[in-house]
Amino acid sequence: MKIVINGKETLIEKEQLSMRDLLVLQNVKMPEAVSVELNGEFLNRSEFASKTVKDNDVIEFLYFMGGGK
Amino acid sequence: MKGFNTIAIHAGQSTDPAMPTMAPVYQSAAFTWENPEAMEDVFSGRSYGHLYSRISNPTVTLLEQKISSLENGIGAIAVSSGMSAIAVVMFTLTEAGDEIISSNALFGGTRTLFQNVFKKYNVKIHYYDNDHPEEIEKMINEKTRLIFTETIGNPRLDIPDFEKLAQIARKKNIPLIADSTISTPFLFQAKKHHVDIVLHSSTKYISGSGSTIGGVIVDTGNFNWQNFHFQKTAAKVHPDFLFLASARKNIFQNIGCALSPFNAWLNILGLDTLALRMEKHCKNAEILAQALTDFSPVKEVNFPGNKNNKYREAGIKYFNNRFGGLLTIKLSGKKECFNMIRKLKMVKNAANIGDSRTLIIHPASTIYYGFPEDEKLRCGVSDDLLRISAGLEDAEDIINDIKQAIFGG
Ligand SMILES: Cc1ncc(COP(=O)(O)O)c(C=O)c1O
Repeated sequence: MKIVINGKETLIEKEQLSMRDLLVLQNVKMPEAVSVELNGEFLNRSEFASKTVKDNDVIEFLYFMGGGK
Repeated sequence: MKGFNTIAIHAGQSTDPAMPTMAPVYQSAAFTWENPEAMEDVFSGRSYGHLYSRISNPTVTLLEQKISSLENGIGAIAVSSGMSAIAVVMFTLTEAGDEIISSNALFGGTRTLFQNVFKKYNVKIHYYDNDHPEEIEKMINEKTRLIFTETIGNPRLDIPDFEKLAQIARKKNIPLIADSTISTPFLFQAKKHHVDIVLHSSTKYISGSGSTIGGVIVDTGNFNWQNFHFQKTAAKVHPDFLFLASARKNIFQNIGCALSPFNAWLNILGLDTLALRMEKHCKNAEILAQALTDFSPVKEVNFPGNKNNKYREAGIKYFNNRFGGLLTIKLSGKKECFNMIRKLKMVKNAANIGDSRTLIIHPASTIYYGFPEDEKLRCGVSDDLLRISAGLEDAEDIINDIKQAIFGG
């Protein structure tokens, strides 16, 4: 499937997978501190295991630790 | 990973390629990136990494992960001192015209911070008594932004009724902030007892040995921040992270109260043995409190674990049958207190607690110097009072030193 992660088109060799598995697959650092947006809506951490990622989904991984404002 | 010691020792990820068993000290002001795009991604929050040690540093992050795990929280911020932990929480949650409600039996420095800094920025402080938490209800209004208490008041050694505090705070949707410096995460499970933000002066028991100054702030994840009036940041975050994001981006990284990597490392080292040390601090304080009761020049021994102490039940309930490492005693007056301090051979006269060494201080002439009499009294401070922080020496040697200082020549 083809999904968009942080603005970049990404090919995933699977039909679908859970958000938790995607975090592992993408080697997302500091998973306990990441905010995950799926198609414009923030997911609660408790939903990571149950929420499935499908073709054409738009995903943002966001941190609040960087510099900037 | 469940046990306290296991978490303290193993929590957090060190990603150093040399794979050291002990955390490395990343003693570097800045961190470089392979290309400007990667750096922009970190600055913008699209990816994770370190840029500059005022903002984050891998050694400091490891400490934050450990403390957050020990408090079962959603995230932590390590800062340069206990005072800056309190200041960051206050600056994050209040603005001019706001009000807070605080326990009146506070560590002197905290009281001075509230009076000298936050009053100046037009934040009104109401003080309630932990023996009468119902007073809070009359003080709450639409400008109240937080309720603040110490888990064991320093040096009054009062223990709040957390159920009652939480009940009042929840009803009005106000966050409950607790300074757990004296109880540490080993004695007090802040999240379980309804605390929303827990903070520590890690200078004390967390670092141990009296080796460094430091502080930590943890969001326990209990509070729903969705409707809280935070100053906006450019960071897009899940509502759970609103406090941590606002504290980091609006306050912490801008006022520059970062913990140095080496001091973070000393705190990490301290965490390895926090539980072992706390057991001994608490035991020594208990033995000392018992022994001092039998010394006739000692008019009063205040220790929450004493049979007749009104906070004993609270200690049993909140601190798993422990009562902390602090006790206070009263002699006849200031002269007798000074005489005793002068004669001590091993116990040190110092303005700190949680050291491996037993420390003693006369609060009225030091930490509370210049405080109005009524404020001193509310904090449990009088001219005849001495505070003792039980160290890790053999109890008999501590007792013998105090005995010779009280009775000797
Ligand atoms: C209960 C409590 N909170 C905060 C502080 C301030 O911590 P620091 O000295 O690390 O700034 C202290 C210091 O004695 C304290 O005892």
